[in-house]
Amino acid sequence: MTELRVCARCVYDERTPGVSFDGEGICNYCRQVDQLAEQYGTGTSRGEAALQAIIEEIRRAGRGRKYDCVVGVSGGTDSSYLLILAKQWGLRPLAVHYDNTWNSAIATQNIRKVTSALKVDLDTLVIDNAESEDIYRAFLRAGVPEFDASTDIAFAQTLRQRAARHGVRYILEGHSFMAEGLAPVGKNYFDGGYVRDVHARFGERPLRTYPNLTFWQFMKWALVYRQKFIRPLWYVAYSKADARRVLEAETGWQYYGGHHLENRATAFLHTIYNPQRFGLDNRNLAIGAEARTGQISHEEALRRLRTPLTPDPELVTYVKKRLGLSDDQYAQLMSGPVRTYRDFKTYKRRFERLRPFFFVLAKANLVPMSFYLKYCFPQRAS
Amino acid sequence: MLRVRVIPCLQLRDGALVKTVQFKKPAYIGDPVNTVRIFNELEVDELAFVDIEASRLGREPNWALLREITDECFMPLSYGGGVASLATAERLFNMGFEKVIINSATLTTPGLIAEIARVFGTQAVIAAIDVRTNWLGRAQTASHSGTRTGDMTPDRWAAALEAEGAGEILLTSIDREGTWRGFDVRLTASVTAAVRVPVIAHGGCGTLAHMAEVVQQGGASAVAVGSLVVYQGQGLGVLVNFPERDELARRLGGAA
Amino acid sequence: MITIVDYGMGNLGSILNMLKKIGATGQISSDAAVIGAATKLILPGVGAFDAAMERIQQSGLRPVLDARALEARVPVLGICLGMQLLGESSEEGVLPGLGWLPAKVLDFRRRIPSELKVPHMGWNLVRTATASPLTAGLAEMQEPRFYFVHSYFMQCQEPSDSILRTTYGLEFDSGVQRGNIFGVQFHPEKSHRFGMHLLSNFAKV
Repeated sequence: MTELRVCARCVYDERTPGVSFDGEGICNYCRQVDQLAEQYGTGTSRGEAALQAIIEEIRRAGRGRKYDCVVGVSGGTDSSYLLILAKQWGLRPLAVHYDNTWNSAIATQNIRKVTSALKVDLDTLVIDNAESEDIYRAFLRAGVPEFDASTDIAFAQTLRQRAARHGVRYILEGHSFMAEGLAPVGKNYFDGGYVRDVHARFGERPLRTYPNLTFWQFMKWALVYRQKFIRPLWYVAYSKADARRVLEAETGWQYYGGHHLENRATAFLHTIYNPQRFGLDNRNLAIGAEARTGQISHEEALRRLRTPLTPDPELVTYVKKRLGLSDDQYAQLMSGPVRTYRDFKTYKRRFERLRPFFFVLAKANLVPMSFYLKYCFPQRAS
Repeated sequence: MLRVRVIPCLQLRDGALVKTVQFKKPAYIGDPVNTVRIFNELEVDELAFVDIEASRLGREPNWALLREITDECFMPLSYGGGVASLATAERLFNMGFEKVIINSATLTTPGLIAEIARVFGTQAVIAAIDVRTNWLGRAQTASHSGTRTGDMTPDRWAAALEAEGAGEILLTSIDREGTWRGFDVRLTASVTAAVRVPVIAHGGCGTLAHMAEVVQQGGASAVAVGSLVVYQGQGLGVLVNFPERDELARRLGGAA
Repeated sequence: MITIVDYGMGNLGSILNMLKKIGATGQISSDAAVIGAATKLILPGVGAFDAAMERIQQSGLRPVLDARALEARVPVLGICLGMQLLGESSEEGVLPGLGWLPAKVLDFRRRIPSELKVPHMGWNLVRTATASPLTAGLAEMQEPRFYFVHSYFMQCQEPSDSILRTTYGLEFDSGVQRGNIFGVQFHPEKSHRFGMHLLSNFAKV
């Protein structure tokens, strides 16, 4: 039996969609991260200067208004830390949260502690709980890996909506390619068309409160409202471990133990659904990133990835309860036909066809650069 | 030392959690089961649920939802809304609720409190008194989600309900509810002076200082909070939360 | 297997729920044969003393309960009113209790300052007294507290039977043990992790 080929630097192996290895055994995703780091001057004085210029612009543009930028918060490390940075930079952020009705206490308490320690106002959009359950059931029936796509899309739409409502053009996001790496497209695709189609085919209730980021909404925010996306963590040195220490010390924030485990739906996705149904272990993103940036050794990264996930059986009980599934129904859904985003009417091909157009928008920060990189290129067959 | 209880009082309507202001304009808050789970994780002292339409519409409690809620809790639970018979109360107790909250039925079904108290004990019955101040500045009791007015003043009504067998009084100021202005301390003091059973002050809590005030000056044994635990702040976003235990201990201390 | 006695009074479902949560096996039963074979019992109780003693009589379970507690000496845990029933009598009623423990149940109202509300309702602290497997590890927890709701309290005749004490206008026994007979005045099934800790101890006794 031949062993799987693994990148010499991170932990992506040959099963990772779209992966390729160069002469040194290093994968294309690592190279892409290196390229971005070079491009943005991450952690260098050049990067700092570029960021400072942006911050100045945000302050100038926001004068006379109550808030000059919007920061999406989830109670997690990155968004919470971003709020601290925003205040340090003299910005006046509005924290915005999309509540999918599956939050854990740690998430909401963290949001409370951070926003109150920093004296930041919070605006929230809560989806109707019955709609939320209908969407999740639809995704289970669809048999696709992106169980929680609706949260990501709704969060994006909520940020833009709230920014528009408050007359704010700058949206800060806590994504860090250094700390998280770049997600391969294959099993991690989401767009508003995808959510809509999955729900249309497998859902039962009409969606009245769900904030969908449809293609035209996306265009409206970019072209009419000209909202700009800034990812400060692309410019400055950032490590999650350091961020957590600062958060704990300054706000009483608490770590929830694992990427996105502060929300029960995402916890279900990462610790139960993806591993059991599709053999996917999404920890490879963060662990790979730590190895790539030298925070842990390559061997340590591989060892961590090999340590089995410990799913919480109570979480399964909770999911069945919320979604009204008997044990049999749940078992059936977990073993039904498997599909991918390509079986649904998504915007992917449209994004690919409009690549030059999105390149221009990305350069102008009117759409996130990471969106351009992930969505506008055809998925390479592995 | 007996701690002052801080009780999130959650409003149910149509299978969802909502929050009213002065008993009007229910705003959507979120999923009841998930919210209860959050409060359980936060180890709050106690939880109270009130179905804000049941009595007014003559409806039964939402049994399926309540069963899902009791599964999630390892602290005392109270339920009010459409409790108008011994059978309903018994079903609630068997399901896992410690106490039932009786309000409108005190008028429509006299003797119900006495009956429940006799079979299940006075500690199982909370008599809810909703109070509105009329245009003359006089406090009036109200029932059926605030749509009907009673005759007696709140303190005399409370004493009557205690005599009937209520083990606790949940005293709500309709005028203050959802306003973040602070409890009606004077109203609370008038009622706590009239009864020996614990009085839970409810309506208007915006800060921990308000809680301390209604306990120390109003004589309340416990406080029920609504807006404070479902919003980040007045006029701000929905956020299910609970004050830190050590802060509460510092502000409220204990009673014995 | 912990058998929760169903004689028609008490929050049985909640107790079972917490047992499940801590990974202990439990069952609810009103059947004399099942109870007669039980290796561990919980006696719940909510409501009035006399009503409870009457229900126990009417249920026909008194003989098997006595047999289990006094002859087979299986561990028995009385909760709230269930603990009060373990004693000889209560000022709340006229009927005698089970008499498994030399203790009387007294009325708060006559003995504590009138500013203090009755029932004693809410979270209060406990202090360990005589060492007991039921309370192992409690003293090490930060501010061990439980949910109380009662108007009458127990006072043991033998001070050594008192394993937990609580103050509410006066000091009373919030936890008792005499041999295989245990009792707690508070509701462990409604006391979060403190209750879970205590019930875990009982499961191991």
